[in-house]
Amino acid sequence: MGHRLNSASMHHFLKAAILIGFSIYIFWLTFSGDILQFVVPQLVIYIKIAAGFLIIVAAFQFYIAFLSLKKQVIICDCGHDHDHSHDHDSVFGHEHHHLLKNSIGKNILIYGLFLLPLLLGFVLPNNTLSSSLVENKGMNLGGISSKNGDKGAVVEVDGNADPALKKLFKTNVYDKDYAKLGMKLYKQNVIEMKDEWFIEKLQSMNTFVDNFQSKEIKIKGFIYREPGLSNNQFIIARMGMTHCIADISPFGIIAEADNPDQFANDSWFMITGRISKTNFNGQNVIKIEVEKAEPAVSPSVPYVYPDWKFGSKL
Amino acid sequence: MRNAAVQKSSPVGSNRHLIILGSLIFVILLYIASTYGYSAIISSQKVQVFKMVFISIIIEAMPFILIGVFISALLQVFVTDQMMRKFIPQNPILGIITASVLGIIFPICECGMVPAIRKLIKKGMPLYVATTFILVGPILNPIVFLSTFTAFQNQPSVTFSRMGLAFLAALVIGLIVFQFVKTNQLREELKQEKNHHHHTHEHHSEKQVKNKVIEVMGHTVSEFFDMGKYLLFGSMIVALLQVYVSQNSLIAIGNSGPFANLAMMGMGFVLSLCSTSDAFVAQSLQSVFSKSSLVGFMVFGPMINIKGVLMMLAVFRTKFVLLLCTLVFVLVFAGTLVLQFIL
Repeated sequence: MGHRLNSASMHHFLKAAILIGFSIYIFWLTFSGDILQFVVPQLVIYIKIAAGFLIIVAAFQFYIAFLSLKKQVIICDCGHDHDHSHDHDSVFGHEHHHLLKNSIGKNILIYGLFLLPLLLGFVLPNNTLSSSLVENKGMNLGGISSKNGDKGAVVEVDGNADPALKKLFKTNVYDKDYAKLGMKLYKQNVIEMKDEWFIEKLQSMNTFVDNFQSKEIKIKGFIYREPGLSNNQFIIARMGMTHCIADISPFGIIAEADNPDQFANDSWFMITGRISKTNFNGQNVIKIEVEKAEPAVSPSVPYVYPDWKFGSKL
Repeated sequence: MRNAAVQKSSPVGSNRHLIILGSLIFVILLYIASTYGYSAIISSQKVQVFKMVFISIIIEAMPFILIGVFISALLQVFVTDQMMRKFIPQNPILGIITASVLGIIFPICECGMVPAIRKLIKKGMPLYVATTFILVGPILNPIVFLSTFTAFQNQPSVTFSRMGLAFLAALVIGLIVFQFVKTNQLREELKQEKNHHHHTHEHHSEKQVKNKVIEVMGHTVSEFFDMGKYLLFGSMIVALLQVYVSQNSLIAIGNSGPFANLAMMGMGFVLSLCSTSDAFVAQSLQSVFSKSSLVGFMVFGPMINIKGVLMMLAVFRTKFVLLLCTLVFVLVFAGTLVLQFIL
């Protein structure tokens, strides 16, 4: 074509390439399932749409880039820099010439900023963050509501459950959902802490600590130790994610074993034991007396998610 | 980073910078590789955590920033200044209240809001309306209400305090801006004064339809890169802080009385969480912190945070951003002090 690759076209091509890069990376994450290492499942659909939109935008950007090879594509913007004249033959949209105007060093910095996440994403393996972040986050043992909660009328939950049971799970209006969940757990022979409602179950049991004494519980999680625990104690925990990694926080239960040394920090275990209670940092929380423990493999998606609507699903 | 936007044009042709920068990076890479070895960098826990947090924030923000820049591009191409003027009420109080309710109709967080706001202001939205919208939009919307209500199920007063304080603070700030800030606060205007020229947008009407689509897309791309660099830089800082600063150091500032409020507001600023997810983080800190400080966290954080401030700097003059930060800080802090007695 005989057209020189001028600096403007280079910017156009670079931008198009970066856009494509981002959409490929995101699609790659969604197809491999690794996306769940980064965000909660509810967001995945929006992220797929975003990646699709990125491809469309990138396609147009490539088109603009090719056009810019043939003729000067001036993209001006009201209010932005207008250091060009309007005597050219084609005007396609507007462009903010920030990138063009800056020095090359600055351009490298800015494009580098966009390339850095792509580079990190493609080069480094996705590893699951379990306990490596706990130290910076602080452990969450649940068990807060009753003493801190708003003073609402104390009521029994509605429904036609066993009246004696209802009396046991009497609570203020606001904790009714946790009371209902608690009643459900109470009737189970073994309380299994699965991915679903991990956080809600923890909260429920800690709201009604006394009702769950010496019940059997089964839980899988990673091991973590915190100052303030006695020598035979450790915490078995899961990471809870609300939106993305920036907001993950650990949720766990204190466990007590005769042979605590076999539970190394960061390792995953399946623990079966009986619930009792303890006081940690001034809160009354449940505690597990370990009866059986076996090493477990960490799940491919290590996170548990709070369920906004668990009350209506009970 | 901020300088990148203010920086006046320097000659593009000088390759010297390129060479200097390139060799600098090369030397640094060589140094790191020789000291730690390539595999050591990859397997380093800190780098791993940084990477995961950094990419997670970007991916999570991606849909929202795309919505923001796309709306901004649509506004640019299809909405005229006159249309905008008709839409905004003339009465300042009404305007501010309209802006507060806008969030209910467009429940997007600040990643989507800030890119759109620049166009809205340029199209004639008064600054005080835009300011109110930016501040209150991320909080006063149904999604955030629901998530806060769920996280603090046993204490609805927290949810209502959050919504109320956010609304009041934004209302007062909107009025202050209306009264005292009359000049243009958009960042580009700095340059425009220097490089002024007028033109109309009526060229090439024969190619209208085809051009409009490309115009919108061209805008979307340039806005994406314009805002994106601030978002990326902000995400990078947030990720670094998450890796190196522990929450305990903020908790150490204090967990009771006014200091708790300060500590939690600081935490909101540093963590830069999306307003839809911060309620659960606040809930998890319930056992350590007072309710008023949690409200401070959930009001101050979405309004003023590292990621958001960086993005605002792309739009507004530095002085104006500082003014906003100060006003929000003072008002929210005062609000949490009052809440200490109520909650």
